[in-house]
Amino acid sequence: MTGRVVAGALGLAGIGTGLAVLLTDPHVRDPLDVAVWLVAALLLHDAVLVPLVLLVGAALRARGPLRGGLIVGGCLTAVALPAVLRPGPVPVSLLPLDYVRNWLFALGAVAVVTALAAGWALLRSRWGRRARR
Amino acid sequence: MRGSVSAIRKEFSGLRQASARSHGAMRFRPVLPRLPDPVFRGRLHDARTATVVGRALGAAVAVCFVTGVISHYLQQPPGWAVNLLPSRPVWGYRLTQGLHVASGLAAIPLVLAKLWTVYPRLFVRPVVRSVLHALERLSIAVLVGAVLLELFTGLLDTVEWYPWPFPFRQVHWALAWVVTGSLLLHIAVKAPVIAANWWRTVAMDALEGPDRRSFLAAVSAAVGAVTLATVGQSFGPLEDVALLAPRHPDHGPQGLPVRQTAAEAGVTRERLSGWRLQVAGPNAYELTLPQLRAMKQHSVVLPIACVEGWSKNAHWTGVRVRDLLDRAGAPHGARIRVVSLERGGNYGVSVMGASYARDPLTLLALALGGEPLAPDHGAPARIIAPDRPGVLQTKWVTRLEVLQ
Repeated sequence: MTGRVVAGALGLAGIGTGLAVLLTDPHVRDPLDVAVWLVAALLLHDAVLVPLVLLVGAALRARGPLRGGLIVGGCLTAVALPAVLRPGPVPVSLLPLDYVRNWLFALGAVAVVTALAAGWALLRSRWGRRARR
Repeated sequence: MRGSVSAIRKEFSGLRQASARSHGAMRFRPVLPRLPDPVFRGRLHDARTATVVGRALGAAVAVCFVTGVISHYLQQPPGWAVNLLPSRPVWGYRLTQGLHVASGLAAIPLVLAKLWTVYPRLFVRPVVRSVLHALERLSIAVLVGAVLLELFTGLLDTVEWYPWPFPFRQVHWALAWVVTGSLLLHIAVKAPVIAANWWRTVAMDALEGPDRRSFLAAVSAAVGAVTLATVGQSFGPLEDVALLAPRHPDHGPQGLPVRQTAAEAGVTRERLSGWRLQVAGPNAYELTLPQLRAMKQHSVVLPIACVEGWSKNAHWTGVRVRDLLDRAGAPHGARIRVVSLERGGNYGVSVMGASYARDPLTLLALALGGEPLAPDHGAPARIIAPDRPGVLQTKWVTRLEVLQ
């Protein structure tokens, strides 16, 4: 219990430290800007991204390897998008690769591994059934 | 197994009763017509899954926070610490900042998986049970908003994209405290649930064991894939598979990436004509480039390690900073101010503590890989010191000032 109280108090102190920086740092001219972006992040995630993910998952009845492939491909996409979408001009030696090609290549690799895993799962369940017979 | 299933049914019917109660109470308030509460049939929105994903996320956040604090204080040390910052190991900052960016990227799949797992709790009824419950929900909202924005700003910083109206560095620093603080608070609140689900039990395994294992394997694979696709920007052996790394160790002038070009820094050939190194101290003096080249040259292998996470070892040749300081009669414990020709930006001037300035590896470098420095690497002369953030490895140096 003491541990919980100490952790909770440290946590509140941490939040306080962060808020103090936000409210006092002269470079942060309007802390309200940050608040707006915080709420926007919350709304975009809770009201757009997750419902979308749930709908796709339900529509595809994604389980096992298919779900795994979607999770891995989705996360790679999240990391690739800033590199793909960043508006120019791009400084020398920043973003030197062809990120659209690399992103598609990565998704292709995920698709191949997913298909192999799904095939393997199918074979295993068939063998299992035959062994039980 | 059947026992656990009926336990879940009981939980669901409890929820339904609770929501029925709240509907009853709604007669007294004017409310817009609302959507029915969503029903979640999936079974992985449970405490065991949340605990397993959550502790991995907690570890990633802890690594990210600690390495971020290190980076912050290396860049902006409090006055008393300036002379105490360690210049060893030479790869220290390369490691901590590489970990900072890698753990932040690894946290992206983990936070998405964690929030998906607990998503149904967003619709818990009644919306607010008590003051304490309201505070807990508020703290969760703060945690989720802050962690999402923190990871988003960090990810976009790696591609130097700043579409928001606030300064990146200060807000990323402030939110780091909010994230870590509200995470600690969350762990304190949820400690009994975490403890009860830390170890796998037969009951939870019987219920959804294989499905949960498959989900956790997928999340682990996502962490592995994201890491594999980016970590080559700081970890040489994996540079060939760094498909999505915003910087690539092989791309840049003289085979080394740059954070800021000479053109961006406003350093033109005209401004460099007649360049001399000024050293201000007890015995001030000036040196031309040929005079610098005539001094005893030293070669070191030191990494450039950028705050954005990329890093690479390079072979530097130049004059030891401590030789320059001795010639100016600088006291041993003196800090120095390094002034660049750079215009605008925050890094035209840097202060170097004695631990770096007296280090035999710290050079005013004139050459990179045996060739004179390229303009984008800071020609004619730049600082290179061990275990230091790249933004402090000041380029286009025009003046060294001994501070008392």
